[in-house]
Amino acid sequence: MFEQLAGLLTHLGEKRIAVLSLGGFEIRFDIMYLVMSWVVILLLVGLALLLRRGLRQPVEEKPTRTQAALDGLLDLLKKQLADNFASEQLAIAMFPFISTLFLYVLLSNWLGVVPYLSAPTQDINITFGLALLVFFMSHVLAIRYKGTRKWLKGFLEPYAFMLPINLVGEIAKPLSHAFRLFGNILAGTFLVTVIMVKFAPVIVPPVLNIFFGLFFGAIQAFVFAILAVAYINVAVEE
Amino acid sequence: MLQEAQTVVAISGADIALAAKYVAAGLCMGIGAIGPAIGEGMAAAHALDGMARQPEMQGALLRTMVLGQAISETTGIYSLLIAIVLLFVV
Repeated sequence: MFEQLAGLLTHLGEKRIAVLSLGGFEIRFDIMYLVMSWVVILLLVGLALLLRRGLRQPVEEKPTRTQAALDGLLDLLKKQLADNFASEQLAIAMFPFISTLFLYVLLSNWLGVVPYLSAPTQDINITFGLALLVFFMSHVLAIRYKGTRKWLKGFLEPYAFMLPINLVGEIAKPLSHAFRLFGNILAGTFLVTVIMVKFAPVIVPPVLNIFFGLFFGAIQAFVFAILAVAYINVAVEE
Repeated sequence: MLQEAQTVVAISGADIALAAKYVAAGLCMGIGAIGPAIGEGMAAAHALDGMARQPEMQGALLRTMVLGQAISETTGIYSLLIAIVLLFVV
């Protein structure tokens, strides 16, 4: 058992990369995180389809137990995340996007707690993809709500010579957004693995897993979603 | 990652580089964690002040506090990334 655990430490931080050659291009895949990401997606879709069956169609009837639980969850998401938007209209339009982001990141972080699985958010490419999604979403929405002229003019605020600083600020947003999630989850995994191998293979890991996996995972998912709300809000506001 | 202890002591340039790598990673994390720790503590302290004064604002204060802490934590995360790069990449 101890040899197996020591193996965990030697392979810590290693990646298995598959290379696909297409003509002159080389596309590199990390198979494990690709599979883990699909596990999360299938879990979310499966849960959605499964829980949908518990809904009672006519609204007047007494709600079922799942319906009440889902109502509570949606209410919580709406109150904590979507209500931070500046306008009610934007909150309604963005609620599905933000709550999907939250649920995906939450389930991704929690997947790392299960033995033999690892959190897809440990991979910088996945968090960066999510951050870019938010980045493009905020700018597309800014163009739609403010118009192209006002959006371009926003980069010259407050003075025209501030343009480089504004551009760097815009690029730094998705970078820090991605690195924050990635770094937190990776640090948690490293810490749990090192302590498990070096100090206490039996008792301590479950406690640490609960703390770093479940608690920090939930906090980081919330922070990721609420920062997405803040970025979209800043981009859209006049 | 971890090297077996050798009985014959012969220090080469690679050994010094390895030692410097570990020391640098440790220093990077240790010094880099000071700033975010102070910042997050200050955010929590002032949020607590606000909560004690106006308990009905607790929800909004908690949310803003977590957001501010997450942002001030970013510098710590950057030093973590540099430590990881030092350990695994350089």
